[in-house]
Amino acid sequence: MFCPQCGASNADNAAVCAQCGRTLQAGAATPLPVTGTVIPPGTTVENYLVFAILTTVLCCLPAGIPAIVYSAQVNGKLLQGDLAGAQAAANNAKMWCWISLGLGLAWVGVVIVLMMFGVLSGLHH
Amino acid sequence: MKRLSTRTMLAGGLFLGTVGLVLLRVYDPASSGVFPPCPLHYLTGLYCPGCGSLRAIHQLLLGNLRDAWAMNPLTCLLLPFLIYGLASQALLRLRGRGLPQVFLPAASIRALCAVIVLFGILRNLPIHPFDLLAPGAMLRLW
Repeated sequence: MFCPQCGASNADNAAVCAQCGRTLQAGAATPLPVTGTVIPPGTTVENYLVFAILTTVLCCLPAGIPAIVYSAQVNGKLLQGDLAGAQAAANNAKMWCWISLGLGLAWVGVVIVLMMFGVLSGLHH
Repeated sequence: MKRLSTRTMLAGGLFLGTVGLVLLRVYDPASSGVFPPCPLHYLTGLYCPGCGSLRAIHQLLLGNLRDAWAMNPLTCLLLPFLIYGLASQALLRLRGRGLPQVFLPAASIRALCAVIVLFGILRNLPIHPFDLLAPGAMLRLW
């Protein structure tokens, strides 16, 4: 089956799209407990909030902040029924999560190299 | 590029997470050189909102709630939600359905973002009682 949202090919019994996370099976999605606004079932968009907070708090880098802001946008646009906008914000949130994680891992690499040089030149204390 | 299967990615994540937790249980980030220092603190001397997180998780793994709180109260508060969120993500990918979730309005996510930024600013102020928010500062009270 092809994902109606991003067009990626998925297994016929897949519940969510492996590419974008959209719910594929009708009725498989848990309805969002939103009061007032009705979001059609099966139209949730992953907002990457958990990863955004994790990369912000554990990678110690400002790149996690835009990830959280975009994550907020996902839910805001979902409530307005703007699915395309929510997906666009989700993609931005995901990108900033990866930037933040990448910077964090790059920093770990730099520290390891510095430590090795320190050990080699006897400066490590 | 062939995409890694969901199970491979989850198993990899679980493995790395377990290795990280075992290292954190054995080595204290406060006194051992096993863990990298926070880039912001290393380069500028300022504390970021996450500074003390590793030391806090180390203390939590030892069962010292009070010391963990002193290292980073924000991390201690967020950790249960993050663990729940990660478990939900893993289940979502395994069986297509996560754990029950409350739909957070955009305003509350922005408020959380503001709390994180504010916490980062306050813990750098040399003014009592905000100076207690710096990693480990509360330990001097007890």
